[in-house]
Amino acid sequence: MQINGHLMQNKNNSHQQDCVTEDGKISSSDLANIEVLKRSEMDIRVPEIPAGIINTLKSRKKHMCVKKDGTNSIPSCNEASVPGMVTQRSCVYGGARVVLMPITDAIHLVHGPLGCASCTWDIRGTRSSGSELYRNGFSTDLQERDIVFGGEKKLLETIIELNQIFEPAAIFVYATCVVGLIGDDLKMVCIEAGKITGSRVIPVQSEGFRSVNKSLGHQLACDALLDHLIGTEPPQNKGNANRKGLEDQQNTDHSLNILGEFNVAGDFWAIKPLLEKIGVSIQAVVTGDSTVEEIAQANLAQLNLVQCQKSSRYLADAMEELYNIPQIRVNFFGVEETSASLRAIAKFFNDPQMMETVEKIIKSGTEGVEESIIPYHQRLSGKKVAVYVGGNKAWSLIRAFEELGMEVLLTGTQNGLPEDYQRIKETVRDGTLVVDDANAMELARLLGKYKPDLMVSGAKEKYLSLKMGVAFCDFNHDRISAFAGFEGFLNFAREVDRAVSSPVWNHSPKIKAPAKPEILTAKSIENNQKGGD
Amino acid sequence: MSCANVMKRDRTAVINPLVTCQPMGAMYAVAGIRRGLPLVHGSQGCSTFVRYSFSRHFREPSEIAVTSLHEDAAVFGGRKNLISGIGNLATRFKPSVIGAISTCSSEIIGDDMEGFIKIAREELKQKMGASEADKIKIVPISTPSFVENHFKGYDNAIKSLVNNLAEDPTDPNGKINIIPGIVNPGDIREIKHILSLMGVEGIVLTDISDPFDSPLRPSVTETKPFYPKGGTAVEEIFDSSNSLGTISLCGYAGSGAQSLEKKYNVPAAVGPIPIGVQNTDHFIRNLKKFTDLEVPDSILDERGLLIDSMADLSSRYLFGRKVAIFGDPAIIAGIARFICELGMIPSVVCTGVENPEFVSEMETVAKESDEPVDVMIGSDLRALEVRLEEDPVELMIGHSDGRLFAKQLDIPLIRVGYPVYDRVGYHRIPIVGYNGSVNLIDRITNTVFEKYYDKEHWKLQQ
Repeated sequence: MQINGHLMQNKNNSHQQDCVTEDGKISSSDLANIEVLKRSEMDIRVPEIPAGIINTLKSRKKHMCVKKDGTNSIPSCNEASVPGMVTQRSCVYGGARVVLMPITDAIHLVHGPLGCASCTWDIRGTRSSGSELYRNGFSTDLQERDIVFGGEKKLLETIIELNQIFEPAAIFVYATCVVGLIGDDLKMVCIEAGKITGSRVIPVQSEGFRSVNKSLGHQLACDALLDHLIGTEPPQNKGNANRKGLEDQQNTDHSLNILGEFNVAGDFWAIKPLLEKIGVSIQAVVTGDSTVEEIAQANLAQLNLVQCQKSSRYLADAMEELYNIPQIRVNFFGVEETSASLRAIAKFFNDPQMMETVEKIIKSGTEGVEESIIPYHQRLSGKKVAVYVGGNKAWSLIRAFEELGMEVLLTGTQNGLPEDYQRIKETVRDGTLVVDDANAMELARLLGKYKPDLMVSGAKEKYLSLKMGVAFCDFNHDRISAFAGFEGFLNFAREVDRAVSSPVWNHSPKIKAPAKPEILTAKSIENNQKGGD
Repeated sequence: MSCANVMKRDRTAVINPLVTCQPMGAMYAVAGIRRGLPLVHGSQGCSTFVRYSFSRHFREPSEIAVTSLHEDAAVFGGRKNLISGIGNLATRFKPSVIGAISTCSSEIIGDDMEGFIKIAREELKQKMGASEADKIKIVPISTPSFVENHFKGYDNAIKSLVNNLAEDPTDPNGKINIIPGIVNPGDIREIKHILSLMGVEGIVLTDISDPFDSPLRPSVTETKPFYPKGGTAVEEIFDSSNSLGTISLCGYAGSGAQSLEKKYNVPAAVGPIPIGVQNTDHFIRNLKKFTDLEVPDSILDERGLLIDSMADLSSRYLFGRKVAIFGDPAIIAGIARFICELGMIPSVVCTGVENPEFVSEMETVAKESDEPVDVMIGSDLRALEVRLEEDPVELMIGHSDGRLFAKQLDIPLIRVGYPVYDRVGYHRIPIVGYNGSVNLIDRITNTVFEKYYDKEHWKLQQ
């Protein structure tokens, strides 16, 4: 079955009908659809998506759909995971932690039993050009007696102690499930600790069970920054040395923040020279390779670039409202997206010189990539990719793969919100499978059934993918190459090529000799449709 | 002969922890059962971060289910989540064992896990029929995260598995139960190798060696859902009450062995982990005692190879060198003893737990050391870092979490134990038994070469 203009006629299709059922049972309302699909098969030669996506629980079926032209094409999402499944999701604390952890000169203190800190310290490959303090793991190590009598006193003692040992620029205090259950007043303790230590002590209300997925954690982390850091003066003149003076501010016409850039594997360092060349000054990165005082002054910037829209859209909206800072979405993965992002920045500042520089940079950047990319393109062209990630990358990588001639067969996220799936829908071509909160068994089935040439995901999915005989490329916290910008795109192409073209797959019984399927692009669908009409 | 200076952490904060919370140990234990699935009764992070940690170390998939507790469960209890979780897991995955693992949240909420499991079992019987439902064993494992650490969680899990699954004894099976502790696949394989040389079959409670180091061979892997090859069959656990004896390799993991001894008169031996000459000898003696078998020449040869390496290497390159050892209490106590056997000095031994068994093991080691041993208990990596800044050593032995300050202090780090995520293959190479000890001595000596000898002149050292 595939999709074409005929489907446009079915405007009253609910999104339920987009979600193909596995067991072949077809409700009467689906019949019209099937008829249309049969006709469409004659129109377009596209990879076949069988009647059911995969066999799974009834309640999970609506979380998978096929993107179709003109219809809703958004899976059900932001719902509780089915208990007893091997979910790939994390908790609210995890969500808050990934957003704030890259702030380099802060202490990230986890108020809870030891495990919440033990399992999460220094697990994100976010890099720093300065302090390494953020890479340590700090815990209040709540014990049984603290559960009974409350952990506030212990928390206060811990903060005072840590402040003495490390003199950090700030202490972020994260709430865990236990804190919510025993009712410790985190805010009150932080205020008191702030008074005693004279330091910034910032509560993050990230009790793990507060939401069905970690997206709320991203928001709560942003709330902590908005309520306690952005636009504030350092307490008792601490940290002034790290702040930009008023003069520096006035000297720069074009200043901006980058929100949702975490400098994983040094991505920000690939973007930074591009931005410096076009003549903008970077006020703060939230939060990759950042310092506390840089973020405290983020309110002074003229523009917010939003890289990871998943984690930072909320922050950008709030800053727009509070500080009148406009925002533009950017994406530095892939040549096309990087170029578009640079142009958008120049357009925003409406500076002819900047526009000119941008075009020069794009020209030299594209030229630098064009020739080197050919061998990769040749080997990768027509290969199929499955993307399953935490958020942003589910759509921001699509174009980059298309530039390599690859076809994104499946994309999905563990914890996407409706607006995230809207972005995915806007980005992917027709016929792409979109899955929400796929658990380990579903992933195994999806890989087994659709046999992509490459899976792009994180560490938990990596080994499942390899065991299924599907090549893997890490695009998560653990990757070691920077993928952003023009040069990063080459790194990206190299890593994808290494994974897909590795001779090891000649020995895997699951993988067939690579066939060359017809590459389906939005354009080819369009052409076919015209022909069909 | 010297003494052990036992010291505890002298601050409230834990900085760079050496241990994690109980559920992790239980997840590890259940993962070693063939078609066994851990079901964590808690928040999603409780399973996700441990899965991440397992994957990072073993470089393998790890399937751990979770009941996804949310705010409503915090208010009304997690009854619904646990019961429907068990139901979904049972019908979709058809596991042999579901280990229902509690967490801080479910313990504080006060969920009656045993009661909920009874209800879930009844529901399963109605849904699947009694005979199908009875094939799926559901074992409650209480692991409150705010009490002790993951070693305790492992011990609790093995005890629960044995107490719930071991059947009343029938005929002696002539086998030896082995409770390995939180060790690597390579270590378990080495123990099985020793048993086969002895000519005795083992029941490993539980055996992660295949699940956490499995072949890419889809024909032997059940992919839908993904179940790795191997693991302890549930029938073996039923049968563990018929064994000749139980040897628990690690001091912290004795409860299951003691329970089998008390309930079914299966004699128990707990620790020390067979690393180095004396500890491995002790292990072999226990095997001999339980089985009444003679120690074969092949084992004596392996012992001889170890002594041969020690004779060659220890006096020339290793003698008198100061070492700091950190991590798992059982493993580091074993290594510390081996370090003494090599004529080196275990200057500092540092662990996150406060077990009395560990302290008494270290007192034995200190007696065999030429210089005093600083024994840091209930400690963390920051405390070790500060101690080593003041009084450096020549080598560090421990897991990957110590790599950052090892680099800063310019002390080479020899990686052992869990987790090792910045080197490959270490989960496959044993450090237990005579063979494992040879691996360890090689690893130590090569590190000494790299750091303390002129590389071009190695040959001149002969």
